[in-house]
Amino acid sequence: MAKNDDTIPPMHFYGPTDAFGFGQLAEIWRTRELLYSFFLRDLLIRYRQVVVGILWVLLQPLMGMLIFMGLFFVLGTQAGNSTVASYAPVILTGMLCWQLVASSFRDATGSLVNYRHVVTKIYFPRLLLPLASLMCAVFDFVIGSLLLLPVCGITGTSIVWTTAWLAMPIALWLIVFCAGCIAWLSALNAHYRDVGYALPFVLQLGMFVSPVVYDIERLRALLTDRWVWLYEANPIATCIGLLRWSLLGTAPPSALGMATAAIVTLLICFSGLAWFQHADQQLADRI
Amino acid sequence: MSIESIHLDKVSKRFRLGAANEYGRLTEAIASGVQSLFRTSSKPVPKRSQDSFAERIEDGWFWALRDIELSIQSGDIVGIVGRNGAGKSTLLKILARIVTPTQGRVGVRGRVGSLLEVGTGFHPELTGRENVFLNGAILGMPRSEIRKRFDEIVAFAEIESFLETPVKRYSSGMAVRLAFAVAAHLEPDVLIIDEVLSVGDQAFQRKCLGKASQLGAQGRTVLVVSHNLAAVANLCRRAVLLRDGRLIADDVPERIIEQYLAEMRSGDGQRQWDDDDSSPCSKELRLRSISVTGNGTDTPASEVDIDQEIHVVVEYRVLIAETPVSVQIHVKDETGSFVFWSANAPSMNLEPDPWFGKPHPIGTYRSECCIPANFLNDTRYFVSVFLGPEVGVVAIRKDSVLSFVVHDTGAMRQEYTGSWLGPVIRPRLHWCTRTVQP
Repeated sequence: MAKNDDTIPPMHFYGPTDAFGFGQLAEIWRTRELLYSFFLRDLLIRYRQVVVGILWVLLQPLMGMLIFMGLFFVLGTQAGNSTVASYAPVILTGMLCWQLVASSFRDATGSLVNYRHVVTKIYFPRLLLPLASLMCAVFDFVIGSLLLLPVCGITGTSIVWTTAWLAMPIALWLIVFCAGCIAWLSALNAHYRDVGYALPFVLQLGMFVSPVVYDIERLRALLTDRWVWLYEANPIATCIGLLRWSLLGTAPPSALGMATAAIVTLLICFSGLAWFQHADQQLADRI
Repeated sequence: MSIESIHLDKVSKRFRLGAANEYGRLTEAIASGVQSLFRTSSKPVPKRSQDSFAERIEDGWFWALRDIELSIQSGDIVGIVGRNGAGKSTLLKILARIVTPTQGRVGVRGRVGSLLEVGTGFHPELTGRENVFLNGAILGMPRSEIRKRFDEIVAFAEIESFLETPVKRYSSGMAVRLAFAVAAHLEPDVLIIDEVLSVGDQAFQRKCLGKASQLGAQGRTVLVVSHNLAAVANLCRRAVLLRDGRLIADDVPERIIEQYLAEMRSGDGQRQWDDDDSSPCSKELRLRSISVTGNGTDTPASEVDIDQEIHVVVEYRVLIAETPVSVQIHVKDETGSFVFWSANAPSMNLEPDPWFGKPHPIGTYRSECCIPANFLNDTRYFVSVFLGPEVGVVAIRKDSVLSFVVHDTGAMRQEYTGSWLGPVIRPRLHWCTRTVQP
């Protein structure tokens, strides 16, 4: 026997240890190096095949911003309660957040299915695959955020530095919300393929349901104060609103709205974790 | 001192029949969920039969494994032997944690490296170097450790000059060499190998077997599924035999292989079911016996001469009056290749079978299929039998239930004495040469 007693790893019994799937989190922490490897792989493949490379990350939100600015300029309306110029950073924060949501949803939904030749042949915590897709989206989000500085500079908008540091935890909120959603979506797509087909449509709708290209102020005028919290229950709407408030000093979402959004986020994350563990049990048989 | 490395406690696994390649639709799942709210539940009674295949089917589910109890000590090299469909691969997948057992629990000590297919976990777009790191990470290896062993892995796989080439340009031999090198060098506590070794060339196979036994000597556990019985005998110290999803024997490899081979060539040219409880049956039909006769006699024989007609005789009882019956046989060779199939339908008969497609009164019937003399080669053949109401509808199925060997009596060896070209059949055909122009 070449192994010493002190190096003998414990016998590990498979199967769910808890109904809520919290055990998965501990396992992800143990295998964080693999998460990093998947993230690196996704990044490498993406930028190896795309000629424009990292520029693409900057170009996408910038183009989105310019298109909507042009559109509103032509239509002669304003989507915010401000001038067209100062509207640029507002729309850019919206675009950046939306890109984070849309690209993480899109990539993560297919992540298990696209990697099924490995999923059915080798074991690792499956949650790593959608999470790696999310990390790629976060990477793009961070790079894209650098655009805010020149855009604010050009349009003469001043960033509110006293509250700007809050942008970090707010972005983290949005990322956690995305993580909960992709746990749902990726495992659902492995079991039911039509989820992947429906997603582009849902995303298109979601972009206009969330205050991506307009700001919440605009809606306040339409919805009465009694109902605006329902709109803000969408964590994407609340996060975008909060980000704009912290960076640009626009009006923050209502307290009731924020509380509802926080509850929604927690519900989605916990149910996502439990659902993913449940779906994981039959993954290799069904995928 | 030995430590238990793998522990299986009454492990069973079932799959949904026919759903393997179907993806559900969420919309359908929701619709059927809503429908079931309005329907009173009427569960279909599961059909049970004593047939070994049917026994594994239950209400649309197929039991791939049933109540497997197994304990393996670290340092053991264990071979898993069994026919196709016996559950070997499912067992490995459960051990590798890819598939979750339906019942029972599985315990494994330490890191598991699995090689269930060529190039598992390789991404075609990434280079060999990047894939080593990714694959190592999937196997649970810290990057620092992979870096430490990198040169060793590359040298073992013999791919030094292709390190920066994307894996999609690798040959399958190169891919499997690299995959094995990664799996074997990253010090898994348990290494699981399923048939992948059959891909590489002879020299590399020897190298792999050497590496596997070296891992065993280091106190690591190795599990091997292979159809190469010689490799199992040489490499393993212990083997288990699976049949129909159950573990039926656990012994030294020599004895297991003996038992496996005996099972493969089961019998004396006859399978009989005397009592009604054990015989394969459906609602309408009950199989009584299957036999092979040859050598010009009516006695069942598992060894027949090449120059005699071979008769496959299927005897069955019709339990319900007016049941139409069709009998079908499949003949395969030892490698599992399909040689031919035949049914008593008119299109496959020299003269129509008087009973084909006719409603049968209750009674016992005997269908006989005659394989011409001088048609099969001198090798072993396996016969599967299917009974059903019509061709293509199977009520009773017995896979490779009988085997027989055809012996060359020298009747066809008048001019040529070497081994026969073409392994499967050796028909005598009509040849004729004529003068076209003098």
